[in-house]
Amino acid sequence: MNLKKITLLLLVFTSILFAQEKATLNGIIKDRSNGETLFGASVFLKNTSIGVLTNEYGFYSLTAPAGKYTLVITYLGYTSFEQEVNLLKEQKFDVELLENSTQLQEVVINSAESESVSIKKPQMSVLKLNATTIKQIPVVLGEVDVLKAIMMLPGVTNNGEGSSGFNVRGGAVDQNLVLLDEAIIYNTSHLFGFFSVFNADAIKDIKLYKGGIPARFGGRVSSVLDVLQKDGNSKQFKMSGGIGLISSRLAIEAPLFNEKGSFIIAGRGSYVNLFLEMLDKDYGVGFYDLNLKGNYGVNDNNKLFVSGYFGRDNMDFDETFSNNYGNLSGNLRWNHIFSDRLFSNLSVIYSEYDYEFGLKLFEFNWKSSIKNYNLKYDFRYYANDAIKLNFGANIIGYDFNPGVIYPTSETSAVNYFQLDEKRAFEAGIYISAEQKVSERFSIEYGLRYSMFNRLGGQSMALYQNNQPVVYNEQLGIYETGTIIGEEDYSKNENIATFNNFEPRLAMALELNNRSSIKAGFSRTAQYIHLLSNTTNVTPLDVWTPSGKYIDPQLANQYSLGYYKNFKDKIFSLEIEAYYKTVDNRIDYIDGANLIGNNYIEGEILNGESQAYGLEFLLRKTVGKFTGWFAYTLSKTEQRTLGGSAGGPGINNGDWYNSAYDRVHDFSITGAYNLNEKWTFGANFVFQTGRPVTYPNGQYIYEGLSIASYTDRNSERLPSYNRLDISATYVPKNKPNNRWEGEWVFGVYNAYNRKNAAAISFGQNAETGANEATRTAIFGIVPSVTYNFKF
Amino acid sequence: MSKYIKHSLLFVFLVFVACTDVIDVEVPIAAPRLVIEASLDWKKENSGNVQIINLSLSTPYFSNDQINPVTGALVKVKNNTNGIEFDFVDQNNGQYITANFIPILNQEYTLEVVYNNEIYSAVETCMPVVNIDDVYQSTGQGFDKDALEVNVLFTDPVEIENFYLMKFQMQGGYLPALFDISDEFSDGNQMEVFYEDEDFKIGDAVDISLYGISKQYYNYIRLLIQQSAEGGPFATIPAQLKGNCINITNAENYAFGYFRLTQVAKETYTFE
Repeated sequence: MNLKKITLLLLVFTSILFAQEKATLNGIIKDRSNGETLFGASVFLKNTSIGVLTNEYGFYSLTAPAGKYTLVITYLGYTSFEQEVNLLKEQKFDVELLENSTQLQEVVINSAESESVSIKKPQMSVLKLNATTIKQIPVVLGEVDVLKAIMMLPGVTNNGEGSSGFNVRGGAVDQNLVLLDEAIIYNTSHLFGFFSVFNADAIKDIKLYKGGIPARFGGRVSSVLDVLQKDGNSKQFKMSGGIGLISSRLAIEAPLFNEKGSFIIAGRGSYVNLFLEMLDKDYGVGFYDLNLKGNYGVNDNNKLFVSGYFGRDNMDFDETFSNNYGNLSGNLRWNHIFSDRLFSNLSVIYSEYDYEFGLKLFEFNWKSSIKNYNLKYDFRYYANDAIKLNFGANIIGYDFNPGVIYPTSETSAVNYFQLDEKRAFEAGIYISAEQKVSERFSIEYGLRYSMFNRLGGQSMALYQNNQPVVYNEQLGIYETGTIIGEEDYSKNENIATFNNFEPRLAMALELNNRSSIKAGFSRTAQYIHLLSNTTNVTPLDVWTPSGKYIDPQLANQYSLGYYKNFKDKIFSLEIEAYYKTVDNRIDYIDGANLIGNNYIEGEILNGESQAYGLEFLLRKTVGKFTGWFAYTLSKTEQRTLGGSAGGPGINNGDWYNSAYDRVHDFSITGAYNLNEKWTFGANFVFQTGRPVTYPNGQYIYEGLSIASYTDRNSERLPSYNRLDISATYVPKNKPNNRWEGEWVFGVYNAYNRKNAAAISFGQNAETGANEATRTAIFGIVPSVTYNFKF
Repeated sequence: MSKYIKHSLLFVFLVFVACTDVIDVEVPIAAPRLVIEASLDWKKENSGNVQIINLSLSTPYFSNDQINPVTGALVKVKNNTNGIEFDFVDQNNGQYITANFIPILNQEYTLEVVYNNEIYSAVETCMPVVNIDDVYQSTGQGFDKDALEVNVLFTDPVEIENFYLMKFQMQGGYLPALFDISDEFSDGNQMEVFYEDEDFKIGDAVDISLYGISKQYYNYIRLLIQQSAEGGPFATIPAQLKGNCINITNAENYAFGYFRLTQVAKETYTFE
């Protein structure tokens, strides 16, 4: 109700302010061959400064003083469109761009244009990749991987193979908002991080906001990864797929309702199970996922979308244990064009992540899940040629099940136990404006107001002196406080309420036609947290909401950048510096026990983190050779003081390296298009080793050699480095044959470097001597994949 | 709970893809610290009069001499309820022994060690334990299909928070296996612990000890077991283990190890 009023007010306000004798042109830009809408196409009036980029639904709206103009639409890899238009009144003008078919191979490479740096827009710290670029990067076992691709860009790392998720500018995995067609995805990895959950066949574009997060996003403090699924071919039936060593893929897309709509169904499944069976092992490991999307254009002003994702990992070890986990999401969207200048989208979204773990040996099962119900209404108002407004609202309801344990047999020693289920409600409203102040200066400013209610329907432990964690002065350790009672909260009570104003600001100053300087500030709040004190985030970590004992994370990020296109946009250079602070970053007491614990607050301390760095990205997006060079110099630290729990805190309350601290992160990615048949790709990565905790002594206790340890994260693993190469062969196509095939040969980790995923210390079972054991995930891995389309 | 999950994860991980190898790593070397292994274990049906306390200094992690015995220390234990003191006599090999200790369940004791002019002190309660109900062997019930297992059954008392330490030591084997057990999810049930080893053969004898332990010691030993057993990418970030032996003279210079007083139920099982 309030929201409606605000919306109305805004509309009235803006229309009064900007009502002038002007005409507006709007429409949707699509690909002529498959009807996919084009995101980020540039639409402008020749010889004026009036121009706009299409939004994620391909929509644009241009307002200019009435008159005659030449409308130009460009999207690299596509033939530019030019036409005289007589702007007199409101006009609808949809355009389909033709893919540059004369040089098919060039097109593939050039289509990276939308990725070349936009020096005019204030938006900074954003990385955009499209599916074509992602597919060119050599990958492990030939499995095209969205996340591996973004990790080749500056400011993005992960804990190496075998770790789920990714880290942006020193942020934790749970500080990334990952959206698949607007649905929140809680775990981005299959098989412990070997593959991402995003099937490249179903994906149109990905955008990663490392900083300068626009006001329409909220809920995470580090980054936003916005993944858009394809709409499906609205012109003709198409089938594509690939057969690889680990998995195979198939995607089907076709028009619906006389080309008024279309759909895509893309599936992927692994057959690791098969290999293991051939090896006569009685266990299985595998994953599959399914992407679905359909759309229907009701009329010029209304379009409906339905999309869904379902993915699952399964592990079954016969008599001993089984484990399965996955994401599920569904989304209904309604695009409505209120007027030639007001575009809107309403979404109803559901998503969940759950895992189940069965230990047959001990005859029990363990389940945990997080679910959310999300309603979003977003508006974009093209007020005039100088100002565009984005505003909207978003509400999310959460259900957390931190765990239920139940016996699976009569004889099980385990009793049924349900940890307290948690509920929460999050809401946000925002408004932001993109304003062109002068020919060379643009500014984007916005404000998000977010609110979080931890809802009742559970009881909360009460602690002596209100201290869930206490410092034991005598023993010098942190311990869970003494529980003195419980407080019951009924379903209509709030356990805790938080709210925050989150200002966002970005500005761009064009120095000349080729270069610009940008600066940005964003404040972000995060109300839910992933609990993990293991070296790598695992699929079995549990999310928990802020509440009585856990405060929301609050981040401030300042960034400054220099951008330059040179040699006719063949090269682009981006240099950015950032400084980020996060308050209320959860840290864990030594030996914290996080799984199956009803009193999580008794295991955590409230810390802070800070990160700063310099990122350098040089890209070549045009020509036979394309690729980029990325380097990041950065520092990420955290500090956890004892605070009200007393004591010095973690590591004596000193600043210490976060697990995601990488001083140097260097990568080169390149693709060389030799001829119509052959394309070669290579990438090289070098990173400073991850901070770890090493033993600094030993003693005998209970007949075992027990290690004493250094301060947390005070040592480092050896550096991580790797070279991957690939070659793509496209056999000559017979005329009139719709079938197009290609072979992709790859070698991952070409010089067989044994990068340590972990080094663990222990006693040799036979000699009793202490030794260090390195776990390396992949040595050299050759692969071959066959992809096809028809 | 979590430890099973993490072990299983690691298991999947290792069989699925990872390869492991032993490498040389340079690790930092901390100054030596006093280690107090004061485990006053009272075997059921025994008097518990003879007790040994081991003192040593910690050594570098990759040192060839894992034990560096401490001699010349003064060691005594006092019953806080009745004030009786027991002096432990220096054997000049790191062992300190008394032959007249009197354990009384649920009473509090204080350990005092004087070494290098510094006084170390610890307080602990003497904890009771239930009997072992049954021990039997089986094959193929555990992770390894071909391995022999020994299974131990005992019954947890209802509605009392209990903590246990179970130790398996193969006679003639090198390293003992320790299990920390809490009744959090199995209060009042008959509990079963199994231990398998691919090296077990018919005729092998295994010494089984079930200790009743305090919550504080459970927290300590749980972390100790976790850190000595875990490894790989899903391991919890390790931390300095701090026991209950504080240094009264200089708090920074606390001792490693623990002062525990436990009743213990023992069985020896021979595979047939």
